[in-house]
Amino acid sequence: MKLTKTLTSLLLAGTMMLPGAAMAETTLNFVSWQVGEKGYGDWWNAVIAEFEATHPDVKIDFTLVPRDGYTDAMITQFAAGAPPDIVHLTSFEYQTFADNGWLEDLGPWIEKSGMDLDGWAGQGACVWKGTTNCIMLLYFGYIMAYNEQLLEEGGVAVPTTWDEYLAAARATTFDRDGDGIKDVYGTGVHLATANSSYTNDVLIYVLSAGGRWTNKDGQVTINTPETIEGINRWRTIVEEELTPMGMVGGDIDQLFMEGKVALRIQGPWINGFVQRAEPGIKEHLKYAASPLQPPLGGSSNVITLASETPQEKKELAWEFIQLATSQKFQELYSELGASPAPRPGAVNEAAFAAVPHMQLLIDATNAASAAGVDRIPTGLEAQNNEFAKVAAEEFQRMLIEKLPTEETAAAIQAEAEMLQ
Amino acid sequence: MSELSQSRTAVAAPRRSSGLFGIDLASPKHANKLGYLLLAPAALLILAILVYPMLLAIDISFHDVKFATLSFGASEYTLANYQKLFSSPDFWNAIRVTGQLLLVVTTISMAVGMGTALLVNQQFRGRSFARMLIALPWAIPEVVAVVTWVWILDASFGVLNWILIKIGLVGGPVSWFSSPGTAFSAVTMVMVWKGYPFISIMILAGLQSIPEEYYQAAKVDGANVFQRFFWVTIPCIAPVLGVTLILTVLWVFRDFSIIYVLTGGGPVGATETLAIMTYEEAFNFFRMGYASSIGVVTLIICAVISAFLVKKTSHAIY
Repeated sequence: MKLTKTLTSLLLAGTMMLPGAAMAETTLNFVSWQVGEKGYGDWWNAVIAEFEATHPDVKIDFTLVPRDGYTDAMITQFAAGAPPDIVHLTSFEYQTFADNGWLEDLGPWIEKSGMDLDGWAGQGACVWKGTTNCIMLLYFGYIMAYNEQLLEEGGVAVPTTWDEYLAAARATTFDRDGDGIKDVYGTGVHLATANSSYTNDVLIYVLSAGGRWTNKDGQVTINTPETIEGINRWRTIVEEELTPMGMVGGDIDQLFMEGKVALRIQGPWINGFVQRAEPGIKEHLKYAASPLQPPLGGSSNVITLASETPQEKKELAWEFIQLATSQKFQELYSELGASPAPRPGAVNEAAFAAVPHMQLLIDATNAASAAGVDRIPTGLEAQNNEFAKVAAEEFQRMLIEKLPTEETAAAIQAEAEMLQ
Repeated sequence: MSELSQSRTAVAAPRRSSGLFGIDLASPKHANKLGYLLLAPAALLILAILVYPMLLAIDISFHDVKFATLSFGASEYTLANYQKLFSSPDFWNAIRVTGQLLLVVTTISMAVGMGTALLVNQQFRGRSFARMLIALPWAIPEVVAVVTWVWILDASFGVLNWILIKIGLVGGPVSWFSSPGTAFSAVTMVMVWKGYPFISIMILAGLQSIPEEYYQAAKVDGANVFQRFFWVTIPCIAPVLGVTLILTVLWVFRDFSIIYVLTGGGPVGATETLAIMTYEEAFNFFRMGYASSIGVVTLIICAVISAFLVKKTSHAIY
């Protein structure tokens, strides 16, 4: 009798647990470097919470892999045949994965679901070799953050052109105590490791002179007079030491936050540094349109599916992508991410209230988009890392050996053509 | 059956069942088998995590592939990676930089390590504290230490430039990472700083094993301090020096984080060693086949140097 009771109880308990076990049987793996990040991380958490609420039988395993080792980790996962179900990549590295056949062609998925990507900022960068490989999550334009107090000290107004910018940078580079060490720099460019950050900072100046690394057809245009003029503009900033020497961009942002750099042309994330500035400095940090037009801009990160993921999981992951790209969550993206979401009309009143300089960001994004600007040169997408290193090393050589800019531009032109 | 015979049967049965596949491993005859059995888990683990990846890397180096797979012979075998490697100026530059770094860092580290070991081997007040200070750089995690050095050496706000300007050694800030010579010097300095404590500790252990009587006998024979150093100290610690030299050479050869964090291999390849080049090719340019060929060449060079040093330095002079 006792045994019968025990068995009945176990059976009952099992029956009660069974639906729960069945409900939580599907887990979607999602790896990102934005886990826990203020703004974008909060937004992902909101999307995940909504998805799990509307899909009680699915759980999202949202795992952090730091940005520094992210590409290595993703390559390992894909090569091992165990890619994440929801794939988050930067827009300058997805081409390598697509080239290897690891990414799903999203064209049929977009068509089947009726997703409207007209006017979606930066979506063009997701189309590569005629295939839609991803959905763009962020496309942005650079703005200028400046320290009002330092501009007043230098006796200059907020610059609106290259000439004014150069004059302002010169006027706000100070050695206050005359010890031979500068205390404040007019502006800042990445001069450390030869990588894409280095070439992107040169590109800001190249664009302002009407130059490009490549034209819209993918032909290399580095030895044109416009590009050479742009390189010379950047060279002036460096050779006159209007920038801290040998620093990475993040360190310069930090110095701007500490009131030691007067002008900083940067993407929307500069706001994160401004918000962390000490009282006494923070109130002097303001924003304006970049005096170097068109602004540098470009695609940032993308979301997509892995071709190896089982069909059932692909369906669920696609539903997740649709939720993330819905009007509701794109509006939340603008608000929490403090930058305009790529979906047209996704910046609402709450976003404007949360980010007072939102209109500047929108204008910069539109200006970059209208000019067809992207950090990743057309025709060199898959070789972007190598191109960036080659070009940055030639710029370093130019500065060290004091070579004519024309000679350097010709060398980069030849090497870029060889890469293609 | 008698009571005695029953008892013998009961004792013999467990002895038979204790053997593996009928082998009595407790028997001296099978002592070797027991040894192999006990070593088997470690040996299998080494095969899985060391030998298999190494063989896989060698295999990949003979394929012109962007990404590696976990199976052998995934595509056509080719020598293209090696042909490209040996005709690449970047590769020969990396060989040159690695060689220079090896020579300079090993020599200075050994000299500083020997000097500090001799110093803290003396009797003086505060010796324990001095020993702790000498070992300190070794105890600090590499990346933490190097990031600190990046700030110390910063051209605009670094404390080293401030000191150099204040004492009048330089007229203006030195941009340590912007020219090939200063970048190489900076990498050398940080590697020596990070590497000498290990050498010092090893040599100190060697020095403490030298019997005092040797020095007393040398003094009686009229040997001065230098003669005692060259004819007593060096010969007695030669095996320790040999092992330390091999480990230091291999460390300089394979070190990645110090150079990568400080300079990333730049400027213009001035600090790009084979380790940095391998990483760049594999994880920045996604050319795993080519990167593997650099790794294989590095492995061969390391093996040759190690074999040479082991042969030359592993024996005591006396």
